Amino acid sequence: MALLNILHFPDPRLRQKALPIKKVDDDIRQLAHDMLETMYDAPGIGLAATQVNEQKRLIVIDVSEEKDSPLFLINPELLVTEGERDFEEGCLSVPEAYEMVTRADKIRVRALNLQGETFEMEADGILATCIQHEIDHLEGKLFVDYLSNLKRQRIKKRLEKHQKQKL
Amino acid sequence: MIILAKSKTLCARSAAALVIHRVTQGQSLNTAFVDINKRLDESQRSLFQQLSYGVIRWYPTLEFIGKQLLSKPLKTKDGDVFALLLMGIYQLRSLRIPDHAALSETVNACKLLNKQWASGLINACLRNYQRQQDALEKSVTEQLVSNFAHPAWLIEKYQSDWPDHWRQILEANNQQPPMMLRVNRREYSQTDYLALLATANIPAYAIENCPQGILLEQACDVFSLPGFVDGAVSVQDGAAQQVVDLLDLQSGLRILDACAAPGGKTCHILERFPTNQMTALDISDERLKQVDENLSRLHLSATCLAADACDTQNWWNGEQFDRILIDAPCSGSGVIRRHPDIKLLRKPEDIQQLAQQQQDLLDNLWPLLKPDGLLVYTTCSAFKQENELQIEAFLLRQPDAMEHVPAMAPARRAGFGYQLLPGDNDLDGFYYACLRHR
Repeated sequence: MALLNILHFPDPRLRQKALPIKKVDDDIRQLAHDMLETMYDAPGIGLAATQVNEQKRLIVIDVSEEKDSPLFLINPELLVTEGERDFEEGCLSVPEAYEMVTRADKIRVRALNLQGETFEMEADGILATCIQHEIDHLEGKLFVDYLSNLKRQRIKKRLEKHQKQKL
Repeated sequence: MIILAKSKTLCARSAAALVIHRVTQGQSLNTAFVDINKRLDESQRSLFQQLSYGVIRWYPTLEFIGKQLLSKPLKTKDGDVFALLLMGIYQLRSLRIPDHAALSETVNACKLLNKQWASGLINACLRNYQRQQDALEKSVTEQLVSNFAHPAWLIEKYQSDWPDHWRQILEANNQQPPMMLRVNRREYSQTDYLALLATANIPAYAIENCPQGILLEQACDVFSLPGFVDGAVSVQDGAAQQVVDLLDLQSGLRILDACAAPGGKTCHILERFPTNQMTALDISDERLKQVDENLSRLHLSATCLAADACDTQNWWNGEQFDRILIDAPCSGSGVIRRHPDIKLLRKPEDIQQLAQQQQDLLDNLWPLLKPDGLLVYTTCSAFKQENELQIEAFLLRQPDAMEHVPAMAPARRAGFGYQLLPGDNDLDGFYYACLRHR
């Protein structure tokens, strides 16, 4: 097990489109568990492989209070979306920014599990929001893309300044 | 993804406080409600609706009590805290929530509004209400505004127009409105659809004197109604369903619905005679979309135009109509039970302005009616100035127009036309007048 380094906006690597995983093998399972550990440590409720500089279509999620219900989605596809819901989102790649984003309220998604088997599930509420947020990462998209240009620029400037100070 | 611990989703009470605050600042209840509803979990939505509508419905009374409980008024920016206080009082006096739960949950809602400082205040005020409940409730009955939960100017206006009925009207305005349906008679008879509802375990009854009307015992989500998406039924009060009968319809007529959105009456007319040439006009492009949606759900078609009906040069092709329906913009003083925010949002000076708009519609559209054609004028108002006095003045201005007496009177006879008052037959308040071109 190992903690992975999380990329921060506006790192261009967050804009790459992740590639489908052809075979779910031990390497993928190891990556998934490292991502989960990284996510719990952050702490966050969802993490996409793109955020730890792995261009693979893999996301890990756990929205439970007890942090005992991890969910792994490999090559996830949104099949159906329904309704609307606003939620104040934050992102491990965009520290300290929380903004309201409108997404579908209910979704149906198809993916592979860690055994490489296809499954489908329905989700609503916070889980639906989180799955959509993470699938966006695999497309190179961030939640700040839903904000006004002004808000996005302000967040970007703040993070750039922050990173310079760290160097 | 991460979420802030403090940015928990809103609870029913904090969400309703935001809605009430927005309405007191001039936003319509429906707009505020739809907007905040999106931020709520499914489980919170029913209480949220009950609280938002209930507090607005009883606002004048709750405000009267709330002000007595506060030693000094709250700042304008703390309108959400005031809303929370009124909601606490509302729960204690009107809802079947145990007092301790109503109290603690309302106090907790302060946190979600980021007004932690107010929790002590809310707690103290609500406990004071409990202690002084008898005296406070007695003071409520001593004044018309608090006793009937209407602003003074509205009470005076009902009193002067309806000296024998104003109490009935005010009381009916405070009732929760029933949900009524119009069965699409091209698809089902009233009896057949009642049977379908029974199979779906939705208790419902036929509405008296309304051949396609159904009253639901309890309001429900439209999508749970059998066949709703395919156009089996529409939601419409029985009062509005009576309009179509007044139009003396047959096939092959040219018909204008001048203020069509959201399209209830347009669709009803076409359900009866789909081959009629229907022009549906509305001044709002946005609201006209609802007409389109309703038409397509019911598999009907009409020419929909976004235009100011009075500006005939801009939209009219010069061909006269056999029938014109003017369901005029009005004070809504007949449908306060459905739109309780009228109590807060409508101002006395609006009435004169609305009456002018109604007059302009009548004067500008009359020349578009064929000789022997019929114009039906309706409002959901209970004020004579918008109704019988409006028509009386029009008949004096327009010698070509005469009142037409329909075979079946839709409501009590007024000086001119017919007036349904809130509370009559448990229907919405409504006014109808039929005018024949000589």
